[in-house]
Amino acid sequence: MLNTDFMLQVAKATIKGVPVTLEIVIVSLILALPISFVFALLRLYSVKGGNQFVKLYVSFIRGTPIIAQILIVYSAFPSLLASFIGKSAFAIDPINYAYIVFTINAVASLTEVFRSALQTVDRGQYEAGTMVGMTSSQIFRRIILPQALVSALPNLTNITLGLVKNSALAFIMSVKDITAIAKTEAAFNYSFLEAYLVLWVYYLIISYAAELIFKSLELYFGRYRKQVKKRHYSNKEQLISVTTDKRRSPAQG
Amino acid sequence: MRNFELIGNFLLQLLPVINITLTVSVSALVLGSFIGLILTLGKIGSSRILRGIVAGYISIVRATPPIIMIFLVYYGLPFITANFFKINIEGWNRIYFVIIALTLLFSAPVAEIMRSAYLSIDKGQYEAGIMVGMNKFQIFYRIILPQATVVALPNYATALINLLKEGSLTFTIGVVDMVAKSQMIVSNNSGGYAWQTYGSLALIYWALSLAIGRVVALSEKAYQKKRQSISI
Repeated sequence: MLNTDFMLQVAKATIKGVPVTLEIVIVSLILALPISFVFALLRLYSVKGGNQFVKLYVSFIRGTPIIAQILIVYSAFPSLLASFIGKSAFAIDPINYAYIVFTINAVASLTEVFRSALQTVDRGQYEAGTMVGMTSSQIFRRIILPQALVSALPNLTNITLGLVKNSALAFIMSVKDITAIAKTEAAFNYSFLEAYLVLWVYYLIISYAAELIFKSLELYFGRYRKQVKKRHYSNKEQLISVTTDKRRSPAQG
Repeated sequence: MRNFELIGNFLLQLLPVINITLTVSVSALVLGSFIGLILTLGKIGSSRILRGIVAGYISIVRATPPIIMIFLVYYGLPFITANFFKINIEGWNRIYFVIIALTLLFSAPVAEIMRSAYLSIDKGQYEAGIMVGMNKFQIFYRIILPQATVVALPNYATALINLLKEGSLTFTIGVVDMVAKSQMIVSNNSGGYAWQTYGSLALIYWALSLAIGRVVALSEKAYQKKRQSISI
């Protein structure tokens, strides 16, 4: 049966990798947010050249597996850097390459999220801003942006969870994250199943914690939005909830 | 120019092993859709316990990194069968383990997609079916299913592309697929032309993803046409 002593040992050893995994996720997310926002604006305002570039970029990154991106960056960047700064490029901490890959990856999906979020804001909101004499940058900052960010939050949760899951591949770049540590422990003691079970639990905890944080953020930032919605559409909302409940019945009956 | 030549050369070397990727993806697509369908039935069914189990399963699978799922199946399945059923499956072809892992991974999003597509169909459609004297199976097969398919197709394409990308991790348990092959090519060149090799690998995946998107968009259009002609 399972070797529980070894599992405890792995759990203790792996906990050192948790900050590394979190670091990869958080740093990539923070780096990706402004870039993808600019990309989304390039697409929305169909900037010549920029629009096509972003389209191609998003299609390529979303159409290729992260492992291919990791291999390309990890093989191309060190020698590219070496041609600028010499041999010291090969001594760079590999976690920097992890930041690069996961940022590149997150930018693609975040661009789409921001684009759709900015599109969901009703045009009337813009007109209302013009009516009270705001300039277009004021309208954007004070009216459009707050609403767009709230509607982007659920998708942001999904992207963060995706990043957590993808970060499990950072070990290929010899980053010492939780997967790398568990893998070495497993190979050293030749008990793979135990080590991966522990690793699995770690990922479940990290994912659920991230989800919890984002859910509370959604609640916090969504509180004004809900009030407005309820006041105006209470009848319609009730109608929708009634019909969705009834829809269950064909399957039951 | 030299780079293009190299990439073309590497493409020719990688393409022969594409069948592993396709086998894995198509098998997981079929099996995963089937399990996803069963999960959907559990989720829209009346049993509260069943609904809870399905919801728990989906949430756990969605929080599991693909590579961990592959490792867990590869090391865990032989352990379970050996200890509980006294069957030794360690000699199995490794590709089966990947297919099982990807099937589990694919079933969760499929269940969500199917459920939301089913719920998006208006109840009046069901009632109309009863009115013209159809039985429950006929209503599902002829009325609900064609409409739900249109709703589900775009999300299905996204899930399928994700499945294809997750399939690129097949190499981690020692199956020689395109990723493993490209790594071999790089080490044969003693680390040279690395980005060109991996670039051609990425190009193949990109082409496959674009093809999936295109096929799904076309079939969506075909379905939509049919739907319109009915409603008129």
